[in-house]
Amino acid sequence: MIKDITIGQYFPGDSVIHKMDPRMKIILTVVYIAALFMVKNFWGFLLTGGLLIVIILISKIPVQTVLKGIKPLLFIIVFTAFFNIFYGTGAPVFPDIGWLAWLKWGGLRNAAFMVIRIVLLITGTSFMTYTTSPVMLTDALERLISPLRYIKVPVHELAMMMTIAMRFIPTLTDETEKITNAQKARGADFETGNIIRRAKALIPILIPLIVSAFRRAEELADAMECRCYNGGDGRTRYKIYSFSLRDYIAAFIVLAVFVSIILINVFI
Amino acid sequence: MSNIKTEIIKTENISFSYNPEENSALVLDGIDLEIEQNSFVAILGHNGSGKSTLAKNFNGILLPTGGKVYACGIDTAQSDKILEIRRNMGMVFQNPDNQIIATVVDEDIAFALENLGVPHDEMVQRVDEALEIVGMTEYKHHAPHRLSGGQKQRVAIAGIIAMRPKCLIMDEPTAMLDPKGRKEVMATIKRLKSEQGVTVVLITHYMDEAVQADRVIVMDDGKILVDGTPEYVFQNVGLLHSVALDVPQAAELMYKLREYDIKVPISVLNEKDCVEVLSKLLEGKIDNNHREFNL
Ligand SMILES: Nc1ncnc2c1ncn2[C@@H]1O[C@H](COP(=O)(O)OP(=O)(O)O)[C@@H](O)[C@H]1O
Ligand SMILES: [Mg+2]
Repeated sequence: MIKDITIGQYFPGDSVIHKMDPRMKIILTVVYIAALFMVKNFWGFLLTGGLLIVIILISKIPVQTVLKGIKPLLFIIVFTAFFNIFYGTGAPVFPDIGWLAWLKWGGLRNAAFMVIRIVLLITGTSFMTYTTSPVMLTDALERLISPLRYIKVPVHELAMMMTIAMRFIPTLTDETEKITNAQKARGADFETGNIIRRAKALIPILIPLIVSAFRRAEELADAMECRCYNGGDGRTRYKIYSFSLRDYIAAFIVLAVFVSIILINVFI
Repeated sequence: MSNIKTEIIKTENISFSYNPEENSALVLDGIDLEIEQNSFVAILGHNGSGKSTLAKNFNGILLPTGGKVYACGIDTAQSDKILEIRRNMGMVFQNPDNQIIATVVDEDIAFALENLGVPHDEMVQRVDEALEIVGMTEYKHHAPHRLSGGQKQRVAIAGIIAMRPKCLIMDEPTAMLDPKGRKEVMATIKRLKSEQGVTVVLITHYMDEAVQADRVIVMDDGKILVDGTPEYVFQNVGLLHSVALDVPQAAELMYKLREYDIKVPISVLNEKDCVEVLSKLLEGKIDNNHREFNL
């Protein structure tokens, strides 16, 4: 189940979408989400859905992958849709069958819209992470929220923590595996017994892992000091992002969809 | 500041304790050292003899409890000069995994330059230059955790070299590497010394690395036990053994032969000289009649 979750995963590639400025991707994703919540009718969904299909095709990420991303959330989607059916208004679907009088066209419509909205929302937002490496994502996020530092939000520190966390995920994963194997070789049993027994069996993995993580943290702090780390003040950046033509084109398309939805809401 | 000229590191009778309030044992005890510019110094000593502590005193990561340390002529206790000291006294540690900060090689090398506020264009150029020096240019966009140990350590060295330090202090940089990785790192260190004029302080427990230095310092229990050229230091085989240190195999062999009264020269440190001595010995140009023999 955990393995099936593709949200937040990155699929390297070299499509136009991959090459877009990550800051623009974040901004446009927000616009897309706003657009989705403003949609009130079928035409709006046609527009946003069409936009998403175009993005999927350009990014060359396989459709199966996209569908797999929805699968773990199927339950939530069905659940929400189910409850929406009961709270409908308007004409009943079966006016002649008494005990089905609660089933209204409005309810069915709400349920259908809800399903479409959630699917478009999940797929659309996961496309940002599918096509942007976590590093670029945090980098872009840092730059986008950096004005917040004027109201004393520790933007640089948060970004540095994220960067280090991402840098150490593979290292600590490897280490966990090594410790697990070492404990197995000593006869530790992680697979049998009830949940409490199994949780207890994890202690001999967690303790060495935590001890080692602290040792690493200490060494890393020294290494950072040796490289003149001195907080965020006066730092320059190695990576410079700049918007290029493709970013402006993407912005134009997404904004066009956004405006169209407003117009559709007003006129249809 | 007349002492800037030749010695890049100077310590004046330093002592160090991790818990000075509790009167715990001194980890460093009266160290007087002068390390000259563009020299290659190896520091030996068994575990816990205080090598790492001494190294961290060289660039102000730790400050001595007593005495003074001058790095490039600057007192390391001057906190307003600390960045200048650290930029000039680059330091590389044992485990490359715990020194690499970014998830892409070139971004990691840029880390120190970002901290120092180097302008972007110069930064790009210096990153490329550092990659070139350690021979990792083709891995510029790779993820560090996928590299071999030797490659990771070269990335760590490049991250320091990018600061253009005058001195490179390395705390057992080869201890976690396989023989191939060790060779790569040693070759990089020697090239830095000869081509970039960097002063090298190498802490190691490999004797074959120590013999490549101009000067070997042996530490024991927070003090300097022997200090001199490799030839001089490795003559003291008995003394080194008494503090649980090895000597290079060639020196060991000569020492054993001399125990049998075969007068082979003392200062044979590498295989080539050793083979020469042994072949002369076997050809009968030297016999065991207490005759001195010169290469
Ligand atoms: N962070 C620390 N806190 C307290 N004691 C330490 C610390 N680091 C090292 N020591 C102690 O200082 C002594 C010298 O350690 P170290 O300088 O690491 O030696 P070496 O590098 O030669 O193995 C050891 O006895 C060690 O236990
Ligand atoms: Mg040490």
